[in-house]
Amino acid sequence: MSVRDLRGAKRYWVFGACLFWLLLTLFPLYWVAITSFKRPVDVVGGPTYLPFIDFQPTMTAWIELFSGIRGEFFSNFWSSAIVATSASVIATLLGAMAAYALVRFPFKVRLLSGVAFFVVAMGGFLLGRDILGFNPVTASIIAFCIALALSVFVNRYRLPGPVLGNDDVVFWFVSQRLFPPIVVAFALFLLYTEMGKMGFKMTDTYFGLTLAYVAFSLPIVIWLMRDFFAGLPVDVEEAALVDNVPSWRIFFGIVLPMSKPGLIATFVITLAFVWNEFLFALFLTNSRWQTLPILVAGQNSQRGDEWWSISAAALVAIIPMVIIAGFLGRMMRSGLLRGAVK
Amino acid sequence: MANIELKNVTKSFGDVEVIPPLNIEIEDGEFVVLVGPSGCGKTTTLRMIAGLETTTSGAVSIGGRDVTDLRPGLRNCAMVFQSYALYPHMTVSENIGYGMKVRGVEKSKAKAAIADAAAILNLEDYLNRKPAALSGGQRQRVAIGRALVRDPEVFLFDEPLSNLDAKLRIEMRTEIKQLHRRLKTTIVYVTHDQVEAMTMADRVVVMRGGVIEQAADPITLYERPRNVFVASFIGAPSMNLLHGELRQAAGGLVFAGNEGSEVPVPADRVEALSGVLGEKMILGIRPEHTGEDATLGPRVTVKVIEIEPLGPHTLVIGMVGQEKFVAQVSSATALQPDDVVEIFLDAGKMHFFRDSNGEAVR
Repeated sequence: MSVRDLRGAKRYWVFGACLFWLLLTLFPLYWVAITSFKRPVDVVGGPTYLPFIDFQPTMTAWIELFSGIRGEFFSNFWSSAIVATSASVIATLLGAMAAYALVRFPFKVRLLSGVAFFVVAMGGFLLGRDILGFNPVTASIIAFCIALALSVFVNRYRLPGPVLGNDDVVFWFVSQRLFPPIVVAFALFLLYTEMGKMGFKMTDTYFGLTLAYVAFSLPIVIWLMRDFFAGLPVDVEEAALVDNVPSWRIFFGIVLPMSKPGLIATFVITLAFVWNEFLFALFLTNSRWQTLPILVAGQNSQRGDEWWSISAAALVAIIPMVIIAGFLGRMMRSGLLRGAVK
Repeated sequence: MANIELKNVTKSFGDVEVIPPLNIEIEDGEFVVLVGPSGCGKTTTLRMIAGLETTTSGAVSIGGRDVTDLRPGLRNCAMVFQSYALYPHMTVSENIGYGMKVRGVEKSKAKAAIADAAAILNLEDYLNRKPAALSGGQRQRVAIGRALVRDPEVFLFDEPLSNLDAKLRIEMRTEIKQLHRRLKTTIVYVTHDQVEAMTMADRVVVMRGGVIEQAADPITLYERPRNVFVASFIGAPSMNLLHGELRQAAGGLVFAGNEGSEVPVPADRVEALSGVLGEKMILGIRPEHTGEDATLGPRVTVKVIEIEPLGPHTLVIGMVGQEKFVAQVSSATALQPDDVVEIFLDAGKMHFFRDSNGEAVR
């Protein structure tokens, strides 16, 4: 059944409900847009709705924003843009690779070898640090490498206990998004400051922030792309296999082009997530690589309730995403697979 | 150019053995069709030759070279899939030439090969189209073109015509057959359609449950099926099977059907069949070897259920006692449903199978 089948009064009810919903979603945007052009007196003196009638628009808030007297606007904008774009590109590419592997190749991880990894890594670290007297970083690197090698080696043998498959691996990835980000943010901040003390500056760097975003975006990318790859006809890849096309070439030359809509959708979702992300940016940056959400939030705390300037900053944070979603949305169309099979 | 040999090849998925030890030898230049009902292991066998499926045990060799552990790309096979499996983002010529591009074949050479394949397959006008803009038959031709330019030792076809409509299927059948005549490359072709198998193959391998029931040229399969399964699988409409037993009667042996009919055994078969006297037997007779013509020989009484006029002749679908029976009569027949009619069998074309194991007795 479609709305087009409705007749008479029902039709108007549905139309009315849709219209109401449209207004409900558009009104906040409209409000932000007009507020950014209001003078202070038009904001604090009770609500005004229509430009030129209720109030005289002014560019003051925008001029202040771009002139930099309300924070390093351009710097923030560019750090947001650079970090968001590169983190999304890297996460989408890496995640797509992982998802493809999880769809096409069966993995078998014995639970016991996972436990062995954990025990050896933790135990080795404690042993190295507390008894052998290594510094924490050396101890953790050595323990990690030994644990990894050991668990990979042990996994080859028929250990008792459950064997985890691809679905378990995916769940493990996705489960990283189940706990509150604040937990990760604290841990990451501590890790980064520790690394900073060793000479690898991570806080408030492009590398540090991008790395954190890539890591935090990967689960969602893997989850989305796995479904997408699972829907691809395996015949096409098998045809390439028989034709002696190497695996990496099958992935880049055939699988990725076939998955363009999925890749773009995933990229946009990741981009939106990173662009709007607040918590990590708050913890891991302080000046040079501060992002737009921090700037917008900062408007209130730095200067008080100056809604006109907060609105202008908020709009600047919204508009690029609207443009990108509009552009790439056209490329998300399905139907790319037509003609491959059947 | 190469022969193919499967030696004691088995395949298990988990604990399920889908192919018990299987032996096939395919000669150089032979067109072999693997045919059987779905799930009979024919596609798995083909995929094991291609290397898309690993063998659980046994050895596969192509052209005398053991390829059992070789990856698909190194076996020098070209495969055409049921679903065509074209690269949807590439044009026809890119689809055909992709393998050569990857292998680093010189551009001019690749271009010539593509043009060659396009000429053979009548694709010249479509080289710049994407697969989405082609019809099913054209897509399948592109898939064949992709296989052609590979210049392989072996062509593998996995039900390539199943997605085409009936008319196109018959056309493509001829095209593939002519292609084989021209190229003389070994072909292994999988289908569930026995007509396709009969019309195309030099040799048909009938499979069931991963086991080869009979491997022979089409006419032998039709005339001398080794068992009931092959007899009923090959031929359309399929062979009539009447259950009963062999008895000694005054004039010689008779086949006494469970439904009461008595069919005398022709004199030249008596010697072979006297060994199974008294055993439960199955009498097989193809519809095309029956009729209303009283000169044919023995008769059975058929209660008509339905009449199917086909043009050249008419099929009578009916029952002999409790057993289904199809007879082929002249298209001028006046038979109607619910009629009871005497149908005569061509005594020389009768087959006898043991009921116990289905083996033919000759």
